[in-house]
Formats: sequence, C-alpha cells, structure tokens
Amino acid sequence: MSLLELEGVSRIYEMASEAIKALDGVDLCVDESERIILLGPSGSGKTTLLNCISALDSPTSGTYKFNDVEVPRNKAEQMTTFRRENIGYVFQFFNLLQDLTVLENILLIQELAGGRDVGKARHLLELVELSGEADRFPAEISGGQQQRVAIARSIAKSPKLLLGDELTGNLDSKTSAMVMDVLVKVCKAERITCIFVTHDESLMKYATRIVRLDSGKITSDEKVDH
Amino acid sequence: MSMLLTRRLARSLWRTKLRLSAVILMISVGVFAGISFGSYANSAASLYDNIYADNDEGINLPDAWVENPSGTWNGTTVDSLCQAIEEQWPDPSLPLDVCEPRLKLSGLMFHTDGDEEKLVDAMWHGIDEGEVDRVWIPDHECCSGTLAVADDEIVIDEHAASEMGIGLGDAVTLGAGHGTMNYTVVGIGYHSNHLYFAQEGVLLPAESGTFVTGYLSDGGLERLANLTAGSANLLLLDIEGTPEYDLQSTDDIEGEQLSEIIDAVSKIVMANDDAYSRVYDRSGVQSVEFLRADAEGAQKSYPIITGMIVIVASITIFLSLQRLIQSQAREIAILRTLGISSSSIMPGYVIAPIAIGLIGCVIGTVLGVTMGAPAMVKMYEEIIGIPAIGYHVEASLIIQNCGIAMVIALLSGIRPAWQASRMQPLEILRGKHEVRLSSRRIQRITSRLPTTVGLTIRSSIRKPIRLVFTFVAVGLSMLLFGSMMLMMGSMEDIMTGSLEDQKWDAMVNVPFGGEGNVIEWAEENNAEHETMLVFPGNAQGDSRMFLAYGLDRVSTENDAMIRLNLKEGSLPVASATTTQVLVDEGTMVFLDWEVGDTQTIMFGPAWLDVEITGVTQGEVVRTLYFHRADLTTVVGLEATTVLIQLPNGVELDDDIGGMSIGIVQKKDMEKSFDTLMKQQQQFFNAILGLGVIIAIAVLFNTLLMNLAERDSELATLRVLGAPIRRIGMMMLGEHFAIGLIGGVLACVFTVIATQYLISAMVQWAFYFSVQVDLMGAILLIGVIVTISVALAPFGMWRVGRMNLVEKVKDLSQ
Repeated sequence: MSLLELEGVSRIYEMASEAIKALDGVDLCVDESERIILLGPSGSGKTTLLNCISALDSPTSGTYKFNDVEVPRNKAEQMTTFRRENIGYVFQFFNLLQDLTVLENILLIQELAGGRDVGKARHLLELVELSGEADRFPAEISGGQQQRVAIARSIAKSPKLLLGDELTGNLDSKTSAMVMDVLVKVCKAERITCIFVTHDESLMKYATRIVRLDSGKITSDEKVDH
Repeated sequence: MSMLLTRRLARSLWRTKLRLSAVILMISVGVFAGISFGSYANSAASLYDNIYADNDEGINLPDAWVENPSGTWNGTTVDSLCQAIEEQWPDPSLPLDVCEPRLKLSGLMFHTDGDEEKLVDAMWHGIDEGEVDRVWIPDHECCSGTLAVADDEIVIDEHAASEMGIGLGDAVTLGAGHGTMNYTVVGIGYHSNHLYFAQEGVLLPAESGTFVTGYLSDGGLERLANLTAGSANLLLLDIEGTPEYDLQSTDDIEGEQLSEIIDAVSKIVMANDDAYSRVYDRSGVQSVEFLRADAEGAQKSYPIITGMIVIVASITIFLSLQRLIQSQAREIAILRTLGISSSSIMPGYVIAPIAIGLIGCVIGTVLGVTMGAPAMVKMYEEIIGIPAIGYHVEASLIIQNCGIAMVIALLSGIRPAWQASRMQPLEILRGKHEVRLSSRRIQRITSRLPTTVGLTIRSSIRKPIRLVFTFVAVGLSMLLFGSMMLMMGSMEDIMTGSLEDQKWDAMVNVPFGGEGNVIEWAEENNAEHETMLVFPGNAQGDSRMFLAYGLDRVSTENDAMIRLNLKEGSLPVASATTTQVLVDEGTMVFLDWEVGDTQTIMFGPAWLDVEITGVTQGEVVRTLYFHRADLTTVVGLEATTVLIQLPNGVELDDDIGGMSIGIVQKKDMEKSFDTLMKQQQQFFNAILGLGVIIAIAVLFNTLLMNLAERDSELATLRVLGAPIRRIGMMMLGEHFAIGLIGGVLACVFTVIATQYLISAMVQWAFYFSVQVDLMGAILLIGVIVTISVALAPFGMWRVGRMNLVEKVKDLSQ
C-alpha cells in the first residue's frame, strides 16, 4: 500500500531576475517499509524534494498525498502538525540540543508529540546501542554516537516516515556504516519507511530503492535486490 | 582594507536593525533624561541665585535677620539696636552695608469669592527703605505695577493674586488682629520669604485661595496693626558682598565668618534689649531654605538618575555588541584565516559603538532640548509658581551628557572588540566556541521537571553573567519609578496620616494675650477648643531652629486635638523635676539624641534642661512637644494659638477673623496636599513612562538576543514538529521568570536607592523616612512582569515566521 504519492509536483523559486524550477513535475509513489535513497548532483532537486515531502516547503503545483490525504501547504502550523504526527527527521549535523542529556533529547520530542515515555526512550537508546550514554550531554559523546542519538530522537514519536539529508555526510566511512546499520535495524524493527538524500554511493546497499534526480526531474527509479 | 571591513560590519549591524534600535533608544533616553533633569536642576539653582542677587535685577537678599518673635520693638529701640550693631560690628573684613527695620505680621484678608466671604490666612510685610529684600516685580507678564508707597497701598503676591483674581486697582480688606482696613492694590509681585508659597511652618504649598501675602509701606502696616511709627519686629542686615553661610544639609561649617558675626550680633542685641530675639542667616528663612534644598536635591539627584540610565544603556550596548560578535564569529574566523590581522578587525568594533553613541546622542539631545527640558521647567514653574525667567539649556550640559554617553558606549564596546580580535579561527570553524557544556548540578535539579521546562531553565541560565546583567538592567530600569513611588507613598503617609489623626478643624493664631476672646467665641458656638503655645527654640550649641509645641493634652488618644504618633518611649509627665518632652524622629537623628537623654534647650537668652521621654513620627519639620504649662514657665507666654473643633453647621466668621492674626483650616491643608499630589502625578507619570521605555528596550533587546542565540535550537524544534504554542509557552515562562526576578531586584534596588536619595534630600528643615509599601512592591513587580510577558508574543511571531527551508539549509552547513 502507498504511504505517499506525489503527482506532477513542481517547486519554482521566484528570484529577483529569474524563476528557478527546483522540481519539475515529479511523480513519486512510496510504499510502506521502503528504504529509498535519493541520488543526484548538486542542484538536482534532492533536498527540495525532501523538503516538500517533509512539509517544510510547499510545492508550487502538483498533488501530494500522505496516506491518501492531501498534505497541507502554505499553512505553517498545519504543516508543523503534519510533521509532528508523521515525520522523523535526521540532520547532517545531528542538531541535538546541547543543554539536554542524550535521554532528554529523546524525551523532549515525545513531550512535544504529547506523550512522555521514559521506558520507550530507554528502549530506543538500547536499539541504537547507546543505553550507557543516556545521562551524558551531546558534547561529551562522539559524532557517530550523536547521530545515533539523533536517529533515536527522530523515531521517538513513532513516525511513519523517516527523512535524512546527508545524514552521514559529517562522519567517516566506518562510523557511517555503523550508523546506517543501526538505522536499518531500527527502521525494520519499528516498520518505518525511510527516504535519505546522499552523495555517497556506498550507502546504496542499505536501500531497497534508488531514485536519481537531475535538473528537478526523476531520471531513474529502480528497486534494489539484496 | 579596513574601510571594506568597516563597511562589512555596518551591513551586519544593519541586519540587526531592531536590536540596534533598542541600543540607540537606550542611549537616547539616557541623554534625554540627563538634559531634562539637568536643565531642571540648573534652572532651579540659577533662578534663585539671580533673584537673590545683590544687584539692580536681584532683590538683594539680606545676609542676617534679627527677629523679635515675642512682640515688636518701637521706633526708638529699633534705631538704638541698628546703631549698636553698626558701631560694634565685629568683622571689618565683612563690613555691614545696611541695617533695615521691617514689620512682618500675621493677619487675614477678608475676601469675597462670588457671594461667599472668606477669611484668608495672610502674612503682611511693612517695608521701610526697601534697600534690601526688595519686592520682586520682574519685567514679565506675571507681574505689574509699582511698590506700595502710600499708607493705603499694597502689593499683592502673584501666587495669591492670580489664584484669587486680584488685579491692579482692586480694593482689598485686611486685618491684623486690630479690626479691618481697606487698601488699594498697586502692584503684583513676589517676595523672597514667599517664593515657595506656603503658610508659616507648613511645608505644603498653599492651596489656591487659602493664603495671601502682601507688601505694604511701613506706615501702611503700622496703621493696620495699630502700632506707632517706626515699629518693627525684624532687622535685616546686609553685608557687603555675599558671605558664605552654614548649610543645614552638611556637617561642615561653610560660613564660619558669618556664624561668628551672627553670634556677636546676638550678644549685641541681648545687651541692648530685654526682649527675646533670634539672629539667623538664610538657612533660618523657610522659603529660602526650602528652595535651596530643592535646588540642591535636584543637583544631587540628577547625576544619580542619569547615571542609572547610563548604566542600563551600557549594559545593553555591551550585551548587544557581544552578541553581534558571536554571530559574526565565522565571518571573523574566515577573515583571520585569509590573513587579516586582529588589529585590522578591531577598529570596526570600536567605531561601531561610537557611531551608535553619536546617533543616540543626537536623538537624545534634540528630544531633550525641544521637549524634555521645557516640560520639566514648566512643571517646576507650576509647582513653585514662579516663572523660570532666563531659562535655557546650557551647552555645557549637552556636552557633559553626550560626553558621558559616548565614553560609556566606547567602554562598553572595547571588551567585545578585543574579544573579536582575539578569536581563534580554527576553534570557530570547528564550531567549538558554540559548544558549552551544561552544568551537571542544574541538570540534576531540573531533571525531574518536564523536559521543555528543563530546557527553558537551562538555556536561560546558559550564560549566567549575561543573565545577571539583564536582571540588573531590568531592575535598574524601574528604579526611578519605584523610588518616586516609594518617596511619594512615604510622604503621603506622613502628610495625610498626621492630618487625619488631628481632631481640630481650625488653628486660630492669636495676638499675645488674645486667646481669651477666641475661647469665648468657641464656647459661644459650642465648639471644643484647646490652647497651644508654639515658640521657636534651638539646642544648646546648635543654631538650627525647631518649634516647641506646648499642648494642653500630650496624647496618643483619638480624642486629643493633636494626636501624636509615638514611635518609641513614653509620654512626658507634666511638671516633672526635669521638664519632660517628646522629640520628633528627625531632630533625634540630626542631633544624635536618644530617649532618656537630658538636653539643654535655648529659647533666646532663656534655657531649660529637658528629659527626652519619647520619639514621635510623622513630623516633616523639627518639633518638640511640651506640656503647655512647662513651656509657659520658660518662655513667659500663655498661648499663641487656639485649636478649635467646629460643630456641624458652625463656620468661622468675621468676629473670629477680627480677633485673630491668622487661621489655618485643616480642610485647606488637606486640599493643598491633594493639589500637590495631582501636580506631582504628571511628573510621576513621566517617570513611569521613562522607566517603562527603558524596561521595554532592555527586555526587547534580551528577547531579540535570545532568539538570535537560540536560532538553530528553535529551528530544530520547529522542524521536528514543535507547535508554536508550545514554544510560546516556553518563552512566556522564561519571560515571566525574567520579569519576576527583575521586578524583585527592582524592589531591592528601589529601597536602597530611595534610602540614598532621601538621605541626600532630607535636612533639618525637611525630614522623612522610607515607609516600605507591599502594594507598591507588587505594583512594581507587576509592571515589569507585564512588560516582559507582553513581549513574548513578538518572539512567538518571529519564530512562527521562520523560513524553515532556509534554516534547514543553515543547519546542514
């Protein structure tokens, strides 16, 4: 069953002297439990597509349905609610809150979503193999560990879709592999659909589907057999 | 290169327009307040110097007064006293210029206001040669006419003339305890004794239509008082030049030479006349001393007020520049990496505060000169009731205020500039300078709270020094308002409290031996009455005058005509071996007396040992309370006043007017106080407005800095789905806490500053202490919390408007 469907989605940025078409009639259908990697050169529209999917940005035209329901656009609070209820997000630079401990970073997201569950937060830390670091501050752990905390944080409210933009871009290859292993394990365990943007071709082995973009258009879309 | 760097910095500053505006506003407010209050202080000081001057424009204020408080001298005695003083003048280096006799008597004016005839308390001056202490009729629309020369002419004081609708050529009916007479008004002007227009011994300015003063020829007043030609009760001594005199507000002896002359003159007068007399300098003249104290208070308090605003401004500038540098850390690091030296980076950060300071100074000066200073001077004119002739904003005041503001701005910018030049590029580019480990202790304390609350607390106290600075700035911002409120509250408590406690309706002053007639009038009208004796005295070895009150009932009970507020000790017993007295709090403080002490009191040549049995509270002027019989024994007079409680339906009439030399009505004093409070309200509101503007600027600046500092944090929360309502609650909570702590600090600062201000203001002639008021404290905290909380929605609006696509891009870089 399709989790999300994009049909003819375009995103045009009006600049002072010209209009830039960042997405140009994208059609994309994502099923539950898929792990998709978006590949493409700089300026191909990967991040814009991710922003539209996460409702950080609104398409200029086209339709975007999530679980068969039209996703709100151009209404900040409705878009925020949509993100809170459906989307998990992992940043390249982790963006953990430095004043909160590892455990509290996860609890904060639960509180914002309306339900604090310390047991579940600790369970997620076990899943990302960081149960011993719960009471440390982000600055006291390594980059790889921080990214794993960010993954645990992103799934703390049980999102249907997890998004990541260059989530291993700030890590070495060994740590990247460790983070991706954990991510795949968590997504499988929690039955979460994932879409990641990356430049790193070595991460393709973690995907079930690879979508390539160029000049705002999907140039190829292929399933991967492992 | 440095020009380009400066241009880059200017553009960066322009991007933080709102924060920049708050800083400029702070400097403008500081300069504005400095010029406004400074003009007030300078005007007050220079106005009196000009009026009192020994020249054609001035009134030639005497340097010493010889007063006969218990009667009048006849012409022969006056001549012999002046001759003795001239012949035995003690100090040839300060030669005597003039010894001029005067007659000054209490009395009444019978004034018709519509259909109603009113008895108006009055003070009449009979002026002889008029060489010293001249009636002041300035060339100004306030005043007109000529001096009184003929026996039936009078100059009416402008304060009373304008309030009572008296003009040139009007006929007025006067009394001075010996029937009534009609006079023609030939002039409207002022007199040094009544520039501050209040009844004798009363500190409140007289309510409209309740007090009048007039300046007659000597013959004119002798006729009214049925005295022989040449009679006087004052000798005005004018010394060549203007010798220093001893100020009551200091412990130093500024006018040693004049004090020695006064002592010598006192001995000369005592040797030549049996009557009790007092010799005193300017500090013994109520109006002169009060206005000097007011000018001195303004001169003392204006640097405090301006300094406080400047401190708040400097904190705001310092914090803003520091935040600016933080936000530019990456840019600075890149410049340093490209090889630009720290000495090239630093000048821009020094120029920035100078430029900000200059803009603030220009705005503050324009507003101060065109609006603030005229408004302050106008308010002063309204309260005192004399035109501020020759008022102008002095260039030195503008230079002084702008100079201080510029120095503060520069000093506030130096540390951030130094910080900018010392930044380590590698550390910044790695982002290490932004990582700050949160305190474990705070984490433990807040770990049981909801995470959002814990986050709010921890991020608020992430930079404790800045937070403390913010609290201090917020606290100081409302200090002015708080101090005003506390001082006015304390004064109100003293003034209204002491009046409300009194049972009398009218205080009828009588000529010596004239109390019997008034008592008879009271009994005929079934009015309760009590006699009172009021006489000036001083402590042995101290020239400052107090009033000794001899009361029939020295009591704290409700049914006493004058109910005393006993702060400490016990009531005195009549006819004790050593006379027992109560002393007011101010006298105890100034003379360093204690309950149980025995002190020697001087009443002219007579002296008396008294035992202090208690301390009273609520008297603004210095006061001692005796049992009347005890005081009569030493001063030789029975009574000077009859206190009357009027039954319902009984009013004071012409009969009592004809037999008295002045009537003070309680209802008039209450009205005076209400009027004063209404006049002060305008000033009060202006100070409140100033405090609110400063508090808004400080809190707004704090809000903007917090938003800028937590930009990535807030963006992360928004991307992760935090609703604006939740973020708003966090902001509201934080601002409520900042407002609350700032408000509490404002209360603490207020009490400290008020005590300091009061200690700078109070003096022998004017004393009161701070009465801490819980409602005032709640109001103060409430104002600050309201401002703080009211700003939070602006923060929510800014967060709500965040461009999350751009923010995510930033977060990924």
